[in-house]
Order: sequence, then C-alpha cells, then structure tokens
Amino acid sequence: MLRRTFLASSAAAAGFSANVARAEPATVSLWHVFNLDTDMIYGGMKAFNESQSAYRIEPRLVPGVQIVTELIRAIATGSVPDLVTLDSPVVASFSAQGTLTDLTDQVVQSKFIKPDVYFKGPWASGQWRGKTYGIPRDANTLGLYYNADMFRAKGMDPDKPPRTWSELKAAAQKLRDPAKNVYGFGFCATQAEEGVFQWLPFLWQAGGSVDKLDQPEAAAALQYVTDMVQQGLASKDVINQSQYEVTNTFMAGNIAMSQGGPWELPRMSKQAKFEWRLAPLPVKDDKQIKADCLGGYDFVVPKGAGQVEGAFRFIEFMSNPKILNEGWKSGRIGPRTDVMVQDPLWPQAYATYRGEMSYARPRGPHPQWPDISRPMQTAIQQALTGAKSPADALREAAAKVDPILAKTPL
Amino acid sequence: MLLYAFLAASMLYLLVFIGLPIVYNLVMSVQEVELGNISDLVRPFVGLENYREAWEDPSFRTVLLNSALFVGANVVAQVGIGLALALFFAQRFPGAHVLRGLLLASWVLPALVVGALWKWIFATDYGVANYVLTRLHLISGAIHWLSDPTVSLTAVTIANIWFGTPFAMILVAAGLTSIPEEQYEAASLDGAGPLARLLHITLPSLWPTLVAVACLVTIYTMRAFDLIFAMTQGGPLDSSNVLPLLSYQLSFQRFHFGVGAAVGSFSFIIVLAVAVLYVRTLRRESEG
Repeated sequence: MLRRTFLASSAAAAGFSANVARAEPATVSLWHVFNLDTDMIYGGMKAFNESQSAYRIEPRLVPGVQIVTELIRAIATGSVPDLVTLDSPVVASFSAQGTLTDLTDQVVQSKFIKPDVYFKGPWASGQWRGKTYGIPRDANTLGLYYNADMFRAKGMDPDKPPRTWSELKAAAQKLRDPAKNVYGFGFCATQAEEGVFQWLPFLWQAGGSVDKLDQPEAAAALQYVTDMVQQGLASKDVINQSQYEVTNTFMAGNIAMSQGGPWELPRMSKQAKFEWRLAPLPVKDDKQIKADCLGGYDFVVPKGAGQVEGAFRFIEFMSNPKILNEGWKSGRIGPRTDVMVQDPLWPQAYATYRGEMSYARPRGPHPQWPDISRPMQTAIQQALTGAKSPADALREAAAKVDPILAKTPL
Repeated sequence: MLLYAFLAASMLYLLVFIGLPIVYNLVMSVQEVELGNISDLVRPFVGLENYREAWEDPSFRTVLLNSALFVGANVVAQVGIGLALALFFAQRFPGAHVLRGLLLASWVLPALVVGALWKWIFATDYGVANYVLTRLHLISGAIHWLSDPTVSLTAVTIANIWFGTPFAMILVAAGLTSIPEEQYEAASLDGAGPLARLLHITLPSLWPTLVAVACLVTIYTMRAFDLIFAMTQGGPLDSSNVLPLLSYQLSFQRFHFGVGAAVGSFSFIIVLAVAVLYVRTLRRESEG
C-alpha cells in the first residue's frame, strides 16, 4: 500500500496522471471449487483482472470435499483468504458464529447486487439475523434424467416422462431389466449431505417438512423411496452411491431414470451414448405439490480478510447477468430472476431446471444444519437397509431434530 | 557435545511437531470449541463433557468396536499373509525379487485411489467380486458388499489388508535375511525337515520382527481414513466407520470440534500404548 501511494504521489508530482504510472494491483486471494475449465469463474477472473488495475484475483482451486476443512484451518490459524465459495447450506454455520465479514453495507451501496432480483432461496442462504454474509454465485436443483432409448425399447413414449409418483414407479417397473443389470430408478442416499439433498424433494412433495419428521407425510416420503429399493426398482447400492456415481451408473446404461442436477450436463453430453432427456421431478398423486431442493454456491468473505473491498468488487463483477449467463455452460443456473439464458446449450434441460427454480426450496438457513441433516441421513439409511420402518426411523430423527429447531427455528 | 546437540535437535523436533499437536488436541477436548472461537486459545473449559458426549453417542460405541475389529483383523491378516509371502519369495526361484518388488505396487498407490478401485470391485451388480464368486458358485445371490451394514466392515477390511500386506511382507523379508544361513545348514545336517526348520529356527529368530511389524501395522491401521472415506464414508449407518473418520466427521462436517478432539484422544491413547510396546520390543531386540 505504501509503495502504491508513493508511486501515485510521485507520478502526480511529475505531472503524470496516477493511471499512467501503474501501481501494483492489490492481490485478492480466492478459494474456489470449480474444476471444469468452462466454469464462469475462469472467464470472470480474466475479465476482472483486465477490466481494472486496482485488484488482481489470485485463485486457488480446492477440491469440494476439502474446502470447509481448509477454511476452518485458515480461520483457526488466523490466515484467511479474501474470498471463498461455500456450499450454500453450510454458510449459516459460519455466519452465525461470526467468522464471516458482514457485507450488508456493501450490498446496500451496490448498483448490481439488489436483494429483490435474486431468487428467495439462494439469497436466504447468505442471510443471518437480517445481515448479509454470503452472495449467491450460482444455483441448482434436481431433475429426472431418463434414457429415451430405453423408453422406446420398452414400448414407452419418451415424450411422456413420468409426472407423478405412481407413474414414476410404474415406469421404473417397466424399465427394470435384471437380466441386463438395469434398474428402473436411481438416486443418492449416502450418509452425507447429498443424501439429504436428494431425499428432501420427496419429503416436501409429500407435504412434509423438516420440522415435522414424525408426521405421516414424512413417513410416506421415506416409504416411497424405501419401496423403490426393497422392490428392486432401485439398487440397494444407492445408500453408498454419491450423486457422481449415480450419474455414472445412468450413463453406463445401468439405470433407466436417475435424479440429478444440472452440473452433470457437461459430462452427460460427452459421455452418454444414448438419447437422454430431462423432466421435472414428479409430484405425489394426491398432493400435487411441486417441490425441489436448492443447491449452489455462495461467495463469502472470511472475517479478517485483508481485501474486503477488492473481494466485494469481484463478487459484484461475478454477479453481473452477463457473467452469470456464462454459468450455464457448466450447468450452473443464475441465482437471479433477471438472468435468462437466450438460446442456451441443452435447451430442454435449461427450461426444466430454470422452471424448477420458482419452487425449489433451500436447506435452512440454519447454523446447525449439519446436526439437522445427520439424523435424516441416519433415518434414510435405516429405512433403506430395513433396519427400521420409515415411520420409526423418522420418529427417532425427529427426537434429535426437534430440540435443535425449538432453540433456533428454521 | 555433538551427541547432546543431536539429542536436543530431535527433542525439539518432537516437541514442536508431535508434542504440540497432541497437547493442543488434549486441550481442545476439554473445551467448548465452535467455529466462532476456534482461533482463540482461551475457550470455555467444560471438563470431561466432550468425552461424556462422545461416549453417550450410540455411533461412538459402534465405531469403537468397529475400530477394534478392523485393526485386529488387519494385524492378524497382514502379518500372517506378509510372513507367508516373505517365506514364499525367500525361495530362490527365477524372478522372485522382481515379483516381490511388484507386489509393493499396491502400497505405492494413494489410499483414495485404492478406495475407488475397491468400491468398483465391490459394486453389487457390476462389480468383479460378485461376478467371480458367482461364477465359482461360491455364492448364490449377489452380496451387497458396501450397502449391507452387516458386510461393509468386512469389505473395507479386505481392501485394507490388500493395501497394507506388501508393507508387512517387506519388513518380514528384511527380518528373514538377518537369520544366518549356517543355522539352516546345521539344522539340515542334523536332519531337521522344512517344518522343523520353520518352527525351531525361522519363527523364534523372527519373533521380535513379527511383534514390531504387528505394532507398526496397528499404528498404520488405527489411522486408516482415506480408504474408508473413499469406499463408504463410514456408512451405511456407521457400520464401517472407524475412530479417525468419526473424529473428522464430528469436527469438520458437524463442527463439534471438542467432541471430535475427544474421539481423537481415544485413538491417541490406543496408539500410544502400542507405540510403547513397539519401542520396548525394539529395545529387547537390540539387547538380544
């Protein structure tokens, strides 16, 4: 900083404008998880660095499973990066504990970042007690991928994907082919956050909610996926298959329909050797509630960051609809209502996911979301392995979740 | 004088890089540690509350038992198979050395890769394990290796035995070379057969090595993390979870750093006990 001022003042004294005598740009360190080189963050960083000379982004790619661990380590040692991309459901854990920089004032003054242009769910993930700690970078939801070739082979119309739970089950029954190692339906039910991410749509479609896990609606939702597994329509291995692996299995032709997000589109379009299509998640026949789960990443600035100003400038830059439009190239949906990609790649998939954004719901925000999620993971696994009935498993989960929500409601 | 400098250097290293983390972990395990105060040194003291919380968590007891079974099975199998392989490769047949070296390939692979590999082998429907076992008519229906809570611990144990055995084998092989050839020659002259030579020369001379290898395998297996993380993340229902992974999950996925540290302390106590045994064995070996 000292050097910059010195240069600027000496330049001014010599009669040059400060712009001509280029000062060293201040470095803004950014940790992110996006490993596809088509991700908008790469074009964004390049354009940002070229568009001004005050700041320069210095990125570090951290694998998705490690970024929380790395950030905690950084907070513990007091040497934090200026900017981090965090999976939206964990942001509240950090903001409620005072480990993130309050960006409320910057947002109020910002010309680009207006809370009301954002979808409610993504925007809520960065909020805590009326203050802004995270700005949504992208959003995603889940859809139903299906193998149109398999539909045709079984005499089904690929233009009519299942729209209700009973149609989904009937389709899974028809498409299942044990002789060829093909299951009708695939989803992720691992003992991890993504298992909950994939089950919550069923819970909400059944009219249930996280604070009423001991109610019959929740039990019906868990019963439905349990039946899928116990009747052999979905593999028992779903309790140990990450979303990534479920998609692999779908692309290998071992699942006819699978629940998955838009981030799978780049590899789907390269690797799937059949005609795949996408449909919105089905609804429960007697409820007709459209519901989906929201995912996505938020930009956060850890407390103690040296370059809050530069970090926020970059967040603003990345929140420009022009940049957000580029997000779709790697399957990221703009978290703003004013972002609508014209002539998108994978138009049918875009229409599906973008349409779901209007009713997708967030997880939390809640500072103890991991403690709320964990009992649900356990309940799902208990039901799918047959260790407990769905109703019993969820009653146990409710006994753990309810006290947490009694203290801090959702 | 120089000798004391050596002593001081290694003491300093141990204190800074081993002692501090252990003390830090112990301190954390008796404090209330949250994301908000993790950078502070002074945090609310809660006594043994974290240990109580860990102990009362039903998954902790499952995981403690899992760890005992996992480590026990690994030590017996790795030392046993390692010994058998070392004896096998000690026979002078063409290519013995090269083949023994090649076996080490699995030890060189990163645990995450090995985990991904075994997850693929153990896949219920398209995995190699079920395919081979079905073809050999050893099983009638498919085994859900990683998705059946009664089988998953066995599955990760098999994978870890495959992963660690070459290391045990090399250590045992090194021990074998230190047995003087004359002993075998003398025994042969006295009419001792192969079994008698194994029982009366090889095993007794190798005993300290075997104990040391068993200790090392225990320590390596106690900290097994990546392999299980890649294969099952400890699931289903903690059926394949072990202490270090549980400690990680508590600290870095659920942000209960104090409880995570308490679980870590349990691991530390066990490893310390084994390490003491190892050092004593080494001492006896060098004295003997």
